[in-house]
Amino acid sequence: MTAPTESEIYDKICELLKPYNPKGLPIERSSGIMSDLEVDSVAVFDFIMELEDHYDISIPMEMVSDIKTVGELSLAAKGLMS
Amino acid sequence: MTALFDKYAPLQTRVDMMMKIGADALGVKFDDILSATRGRIGNREILLAGTNNYLGLTFDEDCRAAAKTAVDDHGTGTTGSRVANGTYAEHTDLEQALAEHFGMPSCIVFTTGYQTNLAAISGLAGDKDVIFMDADAHACIIDGSRLTNASTIRFRHNNPEDLDKRLRRQGEIEGGNALVVIEGMYSMFGDIAPVDEFLDVTHRHGGYLFIDEAHSYGVFGPTGCGIAEEQGVLDQVDFISGTFSKSLASVGGFCASKHPQFEITRKVMRPYMFTASATPANICAARVAVEKVKTGGYLRENLKARAQQLHAGLKALDFDLCADPSPVIAVRRPNEGIAAMEWNWLMENGVYVNLAVPPGTPQSSSLLRISLSAAHTESDVNIIIDAFGRMKASQAEIMSGMMIRMQAAE
Ligand SMILES: Cc1ncc(COP(=O)(O)O)c(C=O)c1O
Repeated sequence: MTAPTESEIYDKICELLKPYNPKGLPIERSSGIMSDLEVDSVAVFDFIMELEDHYDISIPMEMVSDIKTVGELSLAAKGLMS
Repeated sequence: MTALFDKYAPLQTRVDMMMKIGADALGVKFDDILSATRGRIGNREILLAGTNNYLGLTFDEDCRAAAKTAVDDHGTGTTGSRVANGTYAEHTDLEQALAEHFGMPSCIVFTTGYQTNLAAISGLAGDKDVIFMDADAHACIIDGSRLTNASTIRFRHNNPEDLDKRLRRQGEIEGGNALVVIEGMYSMFGDIAPVDEFLDVTHRHGGYLFIDEAHSYGVFGPTGCGIAEEQGVLDQVDFISGTFSKSLASVGGFCASKHPQFEITRKVMRPYMFTASATPANICAARVAVEKVKTGGYLRENLKARAQQLHAGLKALDFDLCADPSPVIAVRRPNEGIAAMEWNWLMENGVYVNLAVPPGTPQSSSLLRISLSAAHTESDVNIIIDAFGRMKASQAEIMSGMMIRMQAAE
C-alpha cells in the first residue's frame, strides 16, 4: 500500500469529524478542533482513535495536546506515516 | 483585549442553563450528613445514592473511634510532607497493613487518591518509557501522565486486543519500558476490566501493569483486594493503586507493588514530596477500615445483592443501563438537559444520585449515576427504584415544570 498524500489524509479527517460536528460548522484547515468545531476534550481523543485505526498509526496524547487545528492534525498524521 | 475569565464564557452559559433548571448538581451542599445513607437539606431527609461509600463505613463505630483517638494522641494536622516531618508511625503502619493485605513487599500511602496516581505514574514512567492507558482512564491517570516526559498512547476501553495491537505497533521501546494503566471497576459506567487478559498481553510484550482499584478495593475479591484478586491474578499485577475515600471511608490513597524497588520512588515523586501528609485521623480511620475490608465478606454480599436488586428493578422499568450489575449503576439519559431536570426532580423527591455529563463521561454520555453502599437496605433500594419509576411516569410534568422555571428565570 502506498502512503496516502497529505490532502487524502485531510479529506479523511474531515469525513471522520462529521459525527463530532453535529451543528455542521464549516471545516477548514485553520479550524480549531476544540475551539471552532466545539469537540470536547474527551471526544477529541475518541475521534483521534478512529483516525489511528484507519491508518494503523499511534498518535501519542502529548502530540494531540499540541495540535490545535485540522490542518496541524493532518500534517502530524502524515509525518507519522512517512 | 480579552479579560482573564472570557475563555469560560461558553462554560458559564452551560452553568447558567443548569441553574435555571434547578440546583447546581456539581455543587450540592448538604446541611447535615446523618448516616452513610442519609443526608439533610433544609428540612428534607435525602437518601444518599451517589457517595461511593461502598462498604458504608464512614459512620462505623470503630473507624470513628480510631479517628478520634488519633486526634487526641497526635493532633489535628501533620504540618509537613512525608519526606519532612509528616511521616508518623501511623503512616508506616498503614503501609505495612496494606502491603500485607495485597501480599506485596511495598506500599506507599499518599494524601489523596488523585495525588496517588499523579505521584505513582509520574514516578514510574521516565522519558524513554511509553504509557499505554485505557481510553476511559480517570482524570488523575491522564494528569499523572502529563507530569512525565513519557509518550502516552490510549487504547480502546477494556479492549486487550486493541492494547496488543498498539504494543505491537510501538515495537521495541529503546531504553525504556511499557507501563500499561487500567482501572478495576470504572467509576462512571461501573464496568469491569478483564485484568487477567490485560496481564497476559502486557507481560507478553514485556510491559508492567498498573491497576487503579479506586472503586474496586474493598468491593471485589474474597478478601476485598479488588478485581485482580476477584479474577485470581493478584500475585502477577505489578502495581495497584487505590483511594481511602471510597471503601476505606477516609481521605488519602495508596499504591502497592510486587517490586520491592518501588520504594525508591519515594525520593522522586513530587506529589508525595511536596504536599502535607494525610492527618492522623484520616490514616487511623483507614487503618481500621482495612481490617473491616479483609473480613467484610458479609458487606460485599449485601452490596452485591443490592446491586442485583437495583439493576433488575431499573431494567424492569426499561431504563438504559451502561453495564452489568455492579455497585455503580449508570442510567443513560438522552441529553444533558433532560438528565439535569431529572436529577433535580430526584433531589426534590428525596433521592441523591450523581449527575454526570461530558467531558467527565465516556462516549459523551449524560448519566444519572447511582453508587450503592453495603449500608443500603433492601427497602432503600426499593425507594430508589420507586423514585425512578415515578420519575419516568411524570416525564411530561417534569419537562413542563422545568420549562416554566426556565421561562420564569429569563
Ligand atoms: C478511578 C479513580 N481514581 C482515583 C480517584 C481519586 O480519588 P480521591 O477522590 O480519593 O482523590 C477517583 C475518584 O475520585 C477515581 O474515580
